[in-house]
Parts: sequence; C-alpha cells; structure tokens
Amino acid sequence: MQHLDPDRLVLLALSEETVDASESDHLERCAGCRLDLASLREVAELGGESQEVRDLPPPPEHVWRAIAAEITPVADLTARRRRRARWVRPVLAAAAALVVAAGGTVAYLVSRPPAASVTARATLTPLATVPASAGGTVRVLSDGEMRVDVRNLPLTTGFHEVWLIDPDDLTKMVAIGSLTDRPDVVLPVPPGTDLNRYRLVDISDEPHDGDAAHSGRSLLRGTLTS
Amino acid sequence: MSSDDELAERLRDGDEKALRTAYDRHGGAVLYLAQRLLGNRADAEDVTQMTFVAAWTGRDTYDPRRGTMLGWLLGIARRKAVDRLRSAARDDRVTETVRAQPAPPGGPETPERVLDRLVVADELGRLPEDQRRTLELAFYDDLTHPQIAAVTGLPLGTVKSHIRRGMATLRRRWEVDGAALGSRSAGPSRAL
Repeated sequence: MQHLDPDRLVLLALSEETVDASESDHLERCAGCRLDLASLREVAELGGESQEVRDLPPPPEHVWRAIAAEITPVADLTARRRRRARWVRPVLAAAAALVVAAGGTVAYLVSRPPAASVTARATLTPLATVPASAGGTVRVLSDGEMRVDVRNLPLTTGFHEVWLIDPDDLTKMVAIGSLTDRPDVVLPVPPGTDLNRYRLVDISDEPHDGDAAHSGRSLLRGTLTS
Repeated sequence: MSSDDELAERLRDGDEKALRTAYDRHGGAVLYLAQRLLGNRADAEDVTQMTFVAAWTGRDTYDPRRGTMLGWLLGIARRKAVDRLRSAARDDRVTETVRAQPAPPGGPETPERVLDRLVVADELGRLPEDQRRTLELAFYDDLTHPQIAAVTGLPLGTVKSHIRRGMATLRRRWEVDGAALGSRSAGPSRAL
C-alpha cells in the first residue's frame, strides 16, 4: 500500500492542493494517513489563528504584586503559629542587641531611581554574633514594595529571610521574603501590614529544613522610621 | 533563555524569581486565555493571579517531561476559569433562572481551542528562524510554496522541508501538550 508522501500531506493540509481520486481512495482505507492529514489540517488552522496571540502583552504589574503578596507570607505565618515556642527565646536573647540597632550610616547606591516615594526607611546593623562589617538599608516605597540592600552577610548553607517584627511583642512577625545574591532586592510588603506596629526589620539565617518559622538566628536588625 | 527544565528546578527549590520569569514569559497567554473564557478583564486578571499562586503552591507537581510549562500553566488557568464560570452560573440560576439558557451552537469557542492556539503560537515562536518565517508566510499570508520560494529567495526544496519539519514540530507539541492537558486523548486512537 502506497501511503501519502509527507510533503504531499502538508500541501493538502494547507489547502494548497486538493485530494485526487486515488488519494481519496487511499485515505478511505488507511487510518494512519487519515489521522496524519486531519492532524496537519488542524495544525495549519491553529497556525493561521496563532497570529493574534503572538507577542501578547504581559499582564499589568498590579497583578504580579497581588501574586507576590500572596505567595510570600502564607506558609511562614501558618508554620509560625505552630512553632512559636522555639522562636521566643532566641528573640528575647537578641532583644538586647536591638538597642545597638540605631545609629550608623551606610552608603547606598540606587541602581535605578524608584518610581514611588519612600515612606519609611531603616538602617540595618549586625547583631552581636555577626561580623561588624555586615549591614544594610531598607526602604519601603509608597507602592508597597520594600527595597533591601545588604552587604557582608555571613555565608550560609541556607538562605536569608526578611521579616517585619512587632518590637512590643516579639512573637508577632510577618515574613516578607528571601534575599537573593543581588545587591538591591525588591520585595512586596503584604498589603494592609501596619508598619507602625511591625516596624522592626529583621534579616535571619534560615536553614533549608522545610520549616517556614523563623530560625531564631537573626543577623541584622533595624527599625523603620518615616 | 532558561529552559523549562531549569525553570522547573528553580521553582521546586522555592525560588520566587523563577515564578516571576514564568510570569514574564507566559502571563500574557494566561491572561488571554482567561479573558477569552470569561469575557471580562477584571475576572481574567483575578484568574491570572490565582493561576500563578496555584502554580507556586503546586510547583512540585510540574513535570517537564509531561509537557511544557506554558501548557501546565494554561491547564491551571483553564480549570480556574471554568470553576469561576460554574460558580457564576450557579449564582445566576439562583437569582435569574432565565439566563440558564444553553449556549448557542457555534457560539463561544471551547477552552481547548484557545489553549491549542496559544500552544501552537508558542511553539511557532520557538522554531528555527527559517522554519518560522516560511510557516508565517504560509499561515498568515496564505502564500503557496512557490510564492514563498520567490519571496524568500530559498530553493523550493528548502521551503518544502522547512514547512514539513516546522509543521511536524508544531504537531508534536500540540499533541503532547494536548495530551498532558487532557483536551484530547493521546496517540493515534483518537477520533478524527
């Protein structure tokens, strides 16, 4: 049995040529060629329709912000409720170091000018166990983003996480997101977060242990002021 | 450009930037699908948001061997959009039974059709330049093989093989993602 030539199938699928009598006979008997032709016709039709969906514009940025706001804190907060006890002690121990986290200036270079105005900022200073050269700055922008710039953080086998903590009740905190290798990291602050209450910025060292609660190993701290 | 494999691995590791990359790459297609299915922009943006949040929480379930990331995301978006249509239909039945009319034949296109179109468009964009160009002339400008040869200056035999190979690639992708998404049954047993 002589099957239809692949080039011929393409021409038929594109309606560039029409099926002749012997091909029609063959197609009637041969399920394989029938399938090939039907599939290629479908592909040709979809190909024609594809013009309108090439290079679609990306969704507006506010959609991404809503996504980012949703994916960052959820796991952390639910896990924290479960495991609060472990967190309390190291925080209280570290609380003394908070007093230190006041002064200090950090040279800060902005890679591109922020579109939104700065509504709050904090200078981050190292806790007692952390090399004194470590530090950073945090700015919260009017569009709800937080820009974090840190330097000389101790190397970790895990990752560095940013938190906003209520200094009046150190068991209350919001996970903001994790830092990357880039110097200027932008993280969304969950909409509705009360920055007057959650004003203590905390950068922690988190192991990859699948436990989303604060590890208790704080590295940098600073308080947001407007 | 990182491959779906690499993106999937970064996603599984909990790298939020990988989700952002997927969003930059495929967010437009997800929004388009949602808008075609729901017919309104606000709902479509909601579904886009839900899709990427679901992709994040379900990131362990994506297997690059079973389909592309676009196909996976569109599958999630389709489910979210259909859920929303169903719940809207439920609300309508309660408040306004008149509107519970069956859709007219030849009316709105099926989710599968929109999805197939997006998958084919994506694959077309990934084809080697020569294949892509000849297929665009065939699909969009309705040029015949000899006309394409004249326009591009390529020998007719080359045009033929570009088109044949390009269409074979599109077909494979369409069948793989279609099978992964369950919009068609896989393999040659499917109804014609």
